[in-house]
Amino acid sequence: MLKTEISSIKLKTPLILASGILGTAGTSLKRIVTMGGAGAIVTKSLGISPRSGHKSPTIVKEEKGGLISAIGLANPGYENFKDEIEIAKQGGAPVIGSVYGFSFREYIEVAQGLEDYGVAAVELNLSYPNVGKTGAFYGKHKELSFEVVKAVKESVGIPVIAKLTANVSDIVTVAKSCEDAGCDAITAITALEAMKINVDTGRPVLGNKVGGLSGPCIKPIAVRCVYEIAKEVDVPVIGCGGATTGEDAVEFMMAGASAVQIGTGILTRGITIFKKVSKEMEEILKRGGYKNVGEIIGIAH
Amino acid sequence: MRVTRIKEIRKETERIKTYILEEKVDAIPGQFVMVWIPDVDEKPLSLSYHKGNMGITVLAQGPFTNKLAELRVGDKVGIRGPFGRGFKIVGDSLLLVGGGVGVPPLAALADEAIQNGKKVTAIVGAITKSELLFVDRLENIGVRVLTCTDDGTCGTKGFTTDVLRDILKKEKFDQCYTCGPEIMMLKVLYEAKKKGIPTQISMERYIKCGIGICGHCIVDGTGQRVCKEGPVFRDVDVEKISEFGKYHRDASGTKIYFRNRK
Repeated sequence: MLKTEISSIKLKTPLILASGILGTAGTSLKRIVTMGGAGAIVTKSLGISPRSGHKSPTIVKEEKGGLISAIGLANPGYENFKDEIEIAKQGGAPVIGSVYGFSFREYIEVAQGLEDYGVAAVELNLSYPNVGKTGAFYGKHKELSFEVVKAVKESVGIPVIAKLTANVSDIVTVAKSCEDAGCDAITAITALEAMKINVDTGRPVLGNKVGGLSGPCIKPIAVRCVYEIAKEVDVPVIGCGGATTGEDAVEFMMAGASAVQIGTGILTRGITIFKKVSKEMEEILKRGGYKNVGEIIGIAH
Repeated sequence: MRVTRIKEIRKETERIKTYILEEKVDAIPGQFVMVWIPDVDEKPLSLSYHKGNMGITVLAQGPFTNKLAELRVGDKVGIRGPFGRGFKIVGDSLLLVGGGVGVPPLAALADEAIQNGKKVTAIVGAITKSELLFVDRLENIGVRVLTCTDDGTCGTKGFTTDVLRDILKKEKFDQCYTCGPEIMMLKVLYEAKKKGIPTQISMERYIKCGIGICGHCIVDGTGQRVCKEGPVFRDVDVEKISEFGKYHRDASGTKIYFRNRK
């Protein structure tokens, strides 16, 4: 009932682990499939060399239903991740490699490396807001987004997914640019730029001062973005941003998403959130008289 | 993030201080808190006092802990937690094995165990006499303390594991608890297992979020999060953690292999 496909990636359930969550080690990614029930997993964003990331605090809880985080793209570098991908694949679900770079050349090198290590697809991080000239530095400009997607697409044979930020004046324009450049799918959205100040000290809490807001509080914005993008592009859209329940996931799909990523929801519902949400989705589909999850994609249009 | 003030500072050794905070807590021994110094950093620290005013005991050895050492009574620090799984008191006769700055959570455990009427023996080790931690505190509450130092300036000359091996030849315990350098804990686990004594181990990994979401403290073999499923693990779980005693991950997630002391 929940089987679906994104480009050539076959999913048992449309629920995918979002990048940056529990993705530091292969054993963890494997556990999120075998124990958690994820349909696919996205690794931590990987670059050409190890990065320690920002100073702590890296995460602060927003009492109103979210997290503000600024890990700072901490990662061991893609070459150190070869074994982790091998282990992650043992979970039996597609492994999607998240890629960031400080130049087109770096994006290409990491994407090609991960393809060699056997990932099912790469998700280009065009969205991370907290580290200089990478991530959102590209995703905030439709021309740069176009160039980086095109460059990677010409360099690998596996599907290329573009992950976008909503911290732009018009996310649809960027999405169309990525489609024109040949991307196979679009993930929307990443955490929204945000900040927390502690009133007892008058100091910003995060080590990086500003971070990205994720969780249930950003879901309505994410649903709106998916809806607008799906209306204008033909490639599949992967919804991301605060999905925590079956109802949330169904809402994303009705807005036009072919799959839904889950991240912060693990905080409240644990690693098995993927199993729980799958079950809730099935109940909603049955209630609506649907036989397959594909039937609901984009029906809100 | 809650902000509290430092209520009292006690000098334990040349480089180790205990900070008693104004905030009260009711935690399980072995649990940790994330301590924030505004504009500096935030680090996970085991509670050395887990009931009433919370206490942490810290060795000044890096940018964060050196900054902490400069703080005075009345200064503000941020706190998140307590987080993680702590020690579970099992049986009546408990053996604690602590090396260096691994002693604080065991001291909290001793408080709890003695209050519950348990018989507690503690092996406390350090490089030299002046670095031995909480010997008086433990003896004052009725713990039998066996000390050892690398240089022989106090107690047995040698490692905690040497003392452990000796005492296990003569005595039986219901449960063993250990915190300290990982290679030491690996040996403690091995010695206790030979005698059929279950062991609880407090593991240290690079913790960032503290709430089980970022995945930085994940251990290989089980994929468990030290901040959530740990930091205290039972021996049967530790045996499934393939990286235990072999390597840990640094701030970037790169594997760093342990060097054996001996």
